[in-house]
Amino acid sequence: MKVRSLLSIAALGLASAAPAVAETMLNVVSAGDQNMVDYVNNYLGPKFEQMNPGVKVRAVGTGPGDSGSQKIYEKLEAQRKAGSATWDVDVAVVHQRGAATMVNEKLLMPYRNDIAAGKLVSRDTAKNALGANVDGYVLPMFHSQIAFAYNPDLVKAPPKSFSELAEWVKKNPKQFGYNGVKGGMSGVGFVMGWVEANSGMRDQLEKGPYDPNMKPMIDKSLAGLKDFNQYVVMTPGNAGTLDMLNRGEIAMGPVWVDMFYTWMADGKMNPKVKLELPAPGLPGQPMYYVIPAKAANAALAKKFIDFAESPEVQAQGIVKQFNWYPGIDPQYVQSKMEPAAWNKLFTDISPADLASKGRPFPLSDYFTDIVEGYERVVLK
Amino acid sequence: MVRSAGPPQGADCAPAGGSAAAKPQAWGDHIRSAGPSQGADCAPNGGSEAAKPQAWGEHITLADDAIVDAPPGGERRWAGVALVIPALVVVGLFFVLPLLLSAVGAFRSTDGAFTLAHFAKALDFYGRDLVFTVAIVVLSTLLIACVAIAIAGYLTLGENPRSVALLRWLYRWPLFIPFVVAGQIMRTFLAKNGMLNHVLIGTGLIDPLSAQSMLDWRGIVIAFVWKQAPFVTLLLAGAMASLERQHIEAARNLGAPRWRVLMDIVLPQARGTLLVGLVLSFVTMLSVLSVPLMINPNSPTMITVDVAYRISTFADYAVANALCLLSLLLAAFGAAFYLRHAVQRVEVKG
Repeated sequence: MKVRSLLSIAALGLASAAPAVAETMLNVVSAGDQNMVDYVNNYLGPKFEQMNPGVKVRAVGTGPGDSGSQKIYEKLEAQRKAGSATWDVDVAVVHQRGAATMVNEKLLMPYRNDIAAGKLVSRDTAKNALGANVDGYVLPMFHSQIAFAYNPDLVKAPPKSFSELAEWVKKNPKQFGYNGVKGGMSGVGFVMGWVEANSGMRDQLEKGPYDPNMKPMIDKSLAGLKDFNQYVVMTPGNAGTLDMLNRGEIAMGPVWVDMFYTWMADGKMNPKVKLELPAPGLPGQPMYYVIPAKAANAALAKKFIDFAESPEVQAQGIVKQFNWYPGIDPQYVQSKMEPAAWNKLFTDISPADLASKGRPFPLSDYFTDIVEGYERVVLK
Repeated sequence: MVRSAGPPQGADCAPAGGSAAAKPQAWGDHIRSAGPSQGADCAPNGGSEAAKPQAWGEHITLADDAIVDAPPGGERRWAGVALVIPALVVVGLFFVLPLLLSAVGAFRSTDGAFTLAHFAKALDFYGRDLVFTVAIVVLSTLLIACVAIAIAGYLTLGENPRSVALLRWLYRWPLFIPFVVAGQIMRTFLAKNGMLNHVLIGTGLIDPLSAQSMLDWRGIVIAFVWKQAPFVTLLLAGAMASLERQHIEAARNLGAPRWRVLMDIVLPQARGTLLVGLVLSFVTMLSVLSVPLMINPNSPTMITVDVAYRISTFADYAVANALCLLSLLLAAFGAAFYLRHAVQRVEVKG
């Protein structure tokens, strides 16, 4: 009897309490792989909800690659064209190309100077996205990097540069694999790295200015890639390269570092496989937190990003649990972590290597010229 | 209308007749007048073949009379139109309009003028993929036909009831598996060190060194055949089961082996259904993105991958639209064939 009455009181209490606390829904829309949505849903969201009673964080993924950012761009643009007073995306996580387009089209609001964590960023990517000025509009959530993964049982002395690699594949045909330009960004990144290494125009590709007359130079370096492709295996996608490495079907290939470490942590990866960053470098990219110009809950969105960029969250969530390189200056993050966890991220690739050989992607226009050139020169 | 009024299956006959009486006027009239022919269809074993066409003819005439006899009443006509409008609006708004917009987009330059540049670029960049797509889909369709004829033939003519039952149970499984899952299965099954090669090496059929990855055009064809053959088999086996058993038995009595019965007696009669199934498979396979994307997204690949790539990497809807229109052109061959055949069938029946 007692129990029952207690229960009914509790039920009454719940029923009346539920509508009393008005819930604010913070909509986070994220481009990129599923692990980024998981990060918000399983790690960041619950922590933020705990600190802010009455707030509910809802994360939605729009898919990997630039197409994920493209969908967010199209949604915001549609809401602007429709003349909506407020837009239903509070925080978006986008790629560099997406951020550049959205800043250009005035779909975002500047916020970096409004939040404390805005002072913790140091890398050039916080101001410049593939040549576009995004200063103030973005904060990097994390940085990710493409590197070669190789099986040391099969490759005793991995090639240290692109020119060594070109020699190596001739001696070891069908042992190097990458996923072309249609199967994910690790393949695209490899092609960018190849052109930067072989065209002799690295600085211009990364910093500009854009010159459409450089196409013949790009095509020339791609002709070398066509020759190179005869000796390599084409893999089905970013994960496909890792799969084939695991099954011993290839000995080496370009992969995303964070994906590699996550697979390793999950026990999905042959633990012997190692990473290496070849000279003169391979591209990497940040994902950006941005706030749409007419976000319904802009103040809350700023609070959310400030929390997400705090050294504690960057240390425990970004680096330790999800194996990304931090979005803010590493010096603030390292002090918040046990040395072992921090060092794990730099076992194969030292911070110095990362600083010199971790390159940005080429400017948007060059990027387009290179992938289209790949279709024209290499695939035909 | 004709189909709902005179279902050939006996099961539907009696109850349909019964409930029809309770239905609204127009329908009641129609079905009642169609009644006699229904009776003919329902007669045990449906009379002889000679009687059947007659019954059908009669039935259709009666049904048409019923429509003509029904009071035309403007109100009722408007009610009919009103009933159809929601469906038309949905089709128009969400299918025809986007299709038109896509077609217009394929011919429009950035400043809005008419241009064929997108088609030129599509053919220049992806002409090879277009040929590849046609080759893959045609080859798959042919293989599907072989598999479907073999399975449906055995289901119809097999003499061991246990193996027929087992096959009947087994062959439908891929029907319930989405294309994306089929792609994922094939990705590990057909890899160089995948399950297929492990089995072949383990049984000594091939040397470990001669094992090769089939994750190229062969993988796509295998995935398509594996996924679509059961669909065509389902249609074909149904058509074969509804044939007159006497034909088969007569041929068997005269000493024809089973494969000749299949090729000379059964298949010619079920040919129409086979062709319809194949055309539907052809069009479905043309539009699948997940399988080529998972098995072989590199060059040459299928046109769907290129469409996705133009949009996701370049936000280039113009060339993507042009590619879609080219793909639509291929599908149109299938559609034309399907329509012609369907019309023929109705004419034969009528």
